[in-house]
Amino acid sequence: MSKIVLKVNGQTRRLETKDSELLLDLLRDGLAVKSVKAACWRGECGLCTVLLNGHLVKSCLVLAVEAAGGEVTTAEGIGSDGELAPIQKAFIEHGAAQCGFCTPAFAITLHELLRKNPAPAQWELEEAVRGLICRCGTYNQIREAVASASSAYAGAEKSQNLVEGSR
Amino acid sequence: MSFGSPYLTLPEFEYHRPETIDEVIELLQKYGGDAAVMAGGVGLLAFMKERLVSPAHVIDIKGVKQLRQTKYTAGESIRIGASVTLSELAANDVLRTKFPALHNAASWIADSIIRERATLVGNMCEAIPWVDSPAALIALEAKVEIAGSQGTRSVNMDDFIRGPVEIDINPGEFVTGVMVPDVPPRKSAFDKFNTGAEFSLATVAVSVTTGKERKARIVYGAVSTKPVRCAEAEKIVVEEEASRRTFRKAAEAASESVECVSDVLASAEYRRQLIHLITMRALERVFEK
Amino acid sequence: MPPQDAFLKVSGTALYTFDCEVAGTLHAKLVTSTMAHAKIVRIDTKKAREIPGLVAVLTGRDMPFRVGLYAGDRDLLAVDKVRWVGHPVAIVVAETLKDAERAAELVTVQYEALPSLLDPVQAMKDGAPLIHEKMEEYSHAPDFHPVIGTNIANRFTLFHGDVQKGFEQADTLVEEEFRISHVSHAYMETQNVIAQYKRDGSAEIWTSCQSPFMVRQILSESLKIPYNKIVVKAPFAGGGFGGKAGLGWEALVLLASKAVGGRPVRLLLSRMENFTSAASRDGMVANVKAGFKKDGKCTAYEVRFVVDAGAYADYTVNVSRTMGYAAEGVYEIPNVHCESLAVYTNKIPTTAMRGFGYPEGNWVLEQVFERAAKKLGIDPVRIRRINLVRPGESHTATGEPLREDAGDPAKVLETLVRDIGWNEKLSQPSSPWRIRSKGFALCVKGPSQPSRASASAIVKFNEDATIDLLVGTGNIGQGTTTALSQLVADQFGLQIESVRVDPVRDTSKSAYTWQTVGSRGLFADGMACLRACEDAKNQILGLASQALRLPRDQLEVVKGAVVAKGRPWLTIPLRELVTGYVYPNGNTIEGPIIGRGTSSSSLNTYLDPEKGQGVPTVFHTFGGAAVEIELDPTTGVIKVLKAASVFDVGKVINPLLLKMQLDGGFVMGLSIGLYEKIKFDEQGWVTNPNLSSYYVARMKDIPREFVADFVETPQSDGPLGARGIGELSMIAVASAISNAVFGATGVKLNDLPMSSEAVWKAIRAQRPDLLKSAMDGYDGVEIPMVARP
Repeated sequence: MSKIVLKVNGQTRRLETKDSELLLDLLRDGLAVKSVKAACWRGECGLCTVLLNGHLVKSCLVLAVEAAGGEVTTAEGIGSDGELAPIQKAFIEHGAAQCGFCTPAFAITLHELLRKNPAPAQWELEEAVRGLICRCGTYNQIREAVASASSAYAGAEKSQNLVEGSR
Repeated sequence: MSFGSPYLTLPEFEYHRPETIDEVIELLQKYGGDAAVMAGGVGLLAFMKERLVSPAHVIDIKGVKQLRQTKYTAGESIRIGASVTLSELAANDVLRTKFPALHNAASWIADSIIRERATLVGNMCEAIPWVDSPAALIALEAKVEIAGSQGTRSVNMDDFIRGPVEIDINPGEFVTGVMVPDVPPRKSAFDKFNTGAEFSLATVAVSVTTGKERKARIVYGAVSTKPVRCAEAEKIVVEEEASRRTFRKAAEAASESVECVSDVLASAEYRRQLIHLITMRALERVFEK
Repeated sequence: MPPQDAFLKVSGTALYTFDCEVAGTLHAKLVTSTMAHAKIVRIDTKKAREIPGLVAVLTGRDMPFRVGLYAGDRDLLAVDKVRWVGHPVAIVVAETLKDAERAAELVTVQYEALPSLLDPVQAMKDGAPLIHEKMEEYSHAPDFHPVIGTNIANRFTLFHGDVQKGFEQADTLVEEEFRISHVSHAYMETQNVIAQYKRDGSAEIWTSCQSPFMVRQILSESLKIPYNKIVVKAPFAGGGFGGKAGLGWEALVLLASKAVGGRPVRLLLSRMENFTSAASRDGMVANVKAGFKKDGKCTAYEVRFVVDAGAYADYTVNVSRTMGYAAEGVYEIPNVHCESLAVYTNKIPTTAMRGFGYPEGNWVLEQVFERAAKKLGIDPVRIRRINLVRPGESHTATGEPLREDAGDPAKVLETLVRDIGWNEKLSQPSSPWRIRSKGFALCVKGPSQPSRASASAIVKFNEDATIDLLVGTGNIGQGTTTALSQLVADQFGLQIESVRVDPVRDTSKSAYTWQTVGSRGLFADGMACLRACEDAKNQILGLASQALRLPRDQLEVVKGAVVAKGRPWLTIPLRELVTGYVYPNGNTIEGPIIGRGTSSSSLNTYLDPEKGQGVPTVFHTFGGAAVEIELDPTTGVIKVLKAASVFDVGKVINPLLLKMQLDGGFVMGLSIGLYEKIKFDEQGWVTNPNLSSYYVARMKDIPREFVADFVETPQSDGPLGARGIGELSMIAVASAISNAVFGATGVKLNDLPMSSEAVWKAIRAQRPDLLKSAMDGYDGVEIPMVARP
């Protein structure tokens, strides 16, 4: 067992871990951050995705010790000033969550995408979420949410090329 | 080879995070076959979770600064360290312009989130039939750089993968990087087909050098148990004028002669069809003005 | 209006069974069979017991119970023999998950192989080895007919008219064989349960399930515990799609808890275990012969469904029965003969999946019609029109008169045709050798529920006149509870925020509903809610009548208050009534208002065991899917460019929720149609128990354009006229895609999935000329799949 310190959603946490513990389990079991899910444990479904030191990672394939001294952000932490992030608000408005099991992973991933690329082309959006599965098939609503949240990330006019003939 | 297991945890092991290559070698010497080297971890940890391997010691090389570097020396080579990630390579302009086959292969492996962690060297060392990087590395005549207690050695990528999950590495050794020679004028391209699966059903990497004499390497991945070159197709590309007709001829030759397997992803005959299509595509790109 | 629980989900605070923690929980792990069909000779648990953290190991001998809702054929753990690779043989319980994993590794089982049957057609043959030798001992719900002494778990037959006469009248015949492979529900939250068998004999269970009341029922009946001593709690479920409709692992884990002195035990399946040990969707082989007259009128439809039910067939006996009674789909066919057999095989057990037999039947029916159209030289739209049922006039093949307000299939067809632009010129393909095409298919469905499947609702007012709405409908992602809240809020003129449905379904606290399946939620629970509102309103108006000293019929509830008609100054806000009324002098009358309502499918009947005649369902939602595709003959890849879905939902309660169901169901239908197949080798092992080689559609695979349209033909016994929709949206998708391919090329795709390899092979076999011309035209110049613009 070893003691590690890391920041999770802005808060410093200290706890014990062992070498063979996955970051996924440290977050869920050690720190009760339940928004991080797992559905395949092999890096295929993406539902364990979190931000580690500014990079999106699939936490089921990262060791807990690798996060020592680092910063982890999950869906609970991408908002600011007690508010949800714009993409999260857009998800609510556009019905982009059905069973919701994949929603935290999509929220983090798209928040990151939109921060770097506020008006992604269709193919860029598809590539960004290539590693995520939504079994309920809410992709179309997710697309609409991205289109609608775009301006909040750009501070610009709503991107036209994302809204393609959907009624 | 079928993935998926009842396990949700990793087996027990001791984690090490050396800071120099010498430290890595020391650890490997100390623990021998009980140790495994980890870079991005997406390969190793997935294998460990399935209990395909259960090393008692995991040596994380991400702390070794040297191994995180990519160094390009014009006219000589590009050297890619063992911890360089696929997304770093995707953003590398030199790789994109001078080594397009490798750039393409690296940029589209798995998905964007995996690529933030997965490394080129890790991908190629997995050596399962469906990984994308070996074909590109072979096409570009890459050499695998290995370090161990006996010193360093360099192996042609052609010979590095012996079979499924079987690579030319001895206990006590580890791969420190790959060296891809910069031999202009060389044109290269990589293509693949993976509709309906998260693994590639067929990949091709083509490299053509047009120095004093034209040379070609056409390498196929995912269709056999390890990457294979197609001498028949290479011969056509070398000897005949570059034209669509030639590309089609080479594609047909490859389709007929490359040994393909049938597995859970595709049948051999479908792979033959895919070989034809992606060969033509790759050749078109290599020779486009 | 967005679903009420959206905030919880996007903020990551929604609670699933996966997230529940109960103090002192032990961890369980399954030990599963490595043989498809074998006698268990010996189970050796000695080494496992040496693991320090191991608390208990249980085998089939320790739990001699069989469970099942329609067919009680399932052992909790294998007893005497194993029936498929993945069949749980033992369960280990340990202090930590790691201990449990290690202990499970160390349990060794000796088997004596038995001949195994992986093909349902083989399994049906005379003399085939029996997979279930003691079928006569199994309990069966009424309406189900196993064939004892065979591997046939259920046999359903339907006779309507005389198909031989029908064939004689026909000008052309269509004869085909269709095949569907096993498919995984692939819900993202794998099956998991926390169960505690307390020392006082009561049980508490947290489970990711669709039917907590049914779980309680089965546990009570099989373990002989009174219903009120079992509490089943179902929080948000990370998807269900029918795969969590029945009993999962609750009984097994509960008994494990009992064996460890009442400590809570958790079982969580890995993805691979979910593929191989949890039930999948049935496979199917269908042989069909249909006759049509020159004008397109179908004169006869004869089909035999051989349903591959796997090792246990509980829900599948109903799925296969449904395939049978719904064989004629949206059409009125004068002569129908159907035989539907659920057949045991030594493969993964099967269960309900979204669509419940209708997608399988649709795959057959809609392609038969398309082929008849081609043979007769008739437009596919016309052949549908000519044969559509006419609500108010037609009878179904089970002899049910179709009520006039059942829906408007003709309008659905017209709307679908318009929305996909059927008569518009096709756009240019992205490359010269690719082909663009359009296709469509119609569908219909009602819930396959027994007549005693009832629902109830309780409208409980709080002191401030906000409402706690108690219903049994679960949260599996379909958003029904939001629609129910809307219905209730509207009845009292309140904002939807005033109505709360607790996220957790708890059998001791929620109102009863039969199951969250069959697209019945809005219809059944909705009616119960409306009646509960009526009941509450009666009480409120009665009270207000006394308070205002006016007759009841002079009062109404408007915007959260009781108001006298025509005299708005005579009003009392609800909050002054809902916990009783206090007169100015302090006298108080009545108490808290509790509205209650129920609904049941009262006029459903059993189906005649020979002819299949009767009334099996409570509504018929008519609808259809249409697609525009691009086909690449060189690779066999089908790209769906545009999706159109049209459904007659009776009444649109919440357009956003409906759109989510339509688009989401379309994606699932597309994924199953193009990609999904559980692959088995000759020893019965699943060769792709992971999400890389069992491919589930990702965002890049879906159309860029989705059109969803609704027809509203209100059904008088539905809440505000509404019918169900949850499953409908995926039923016709695969057929629509296949019809698009057939329409443009004449290539028949009879098997699912339409993988790129299967499509390429079909083109190569049936239209070699098409493949040749595509290959001749192929230039390798189009934008490669790897690079990007």
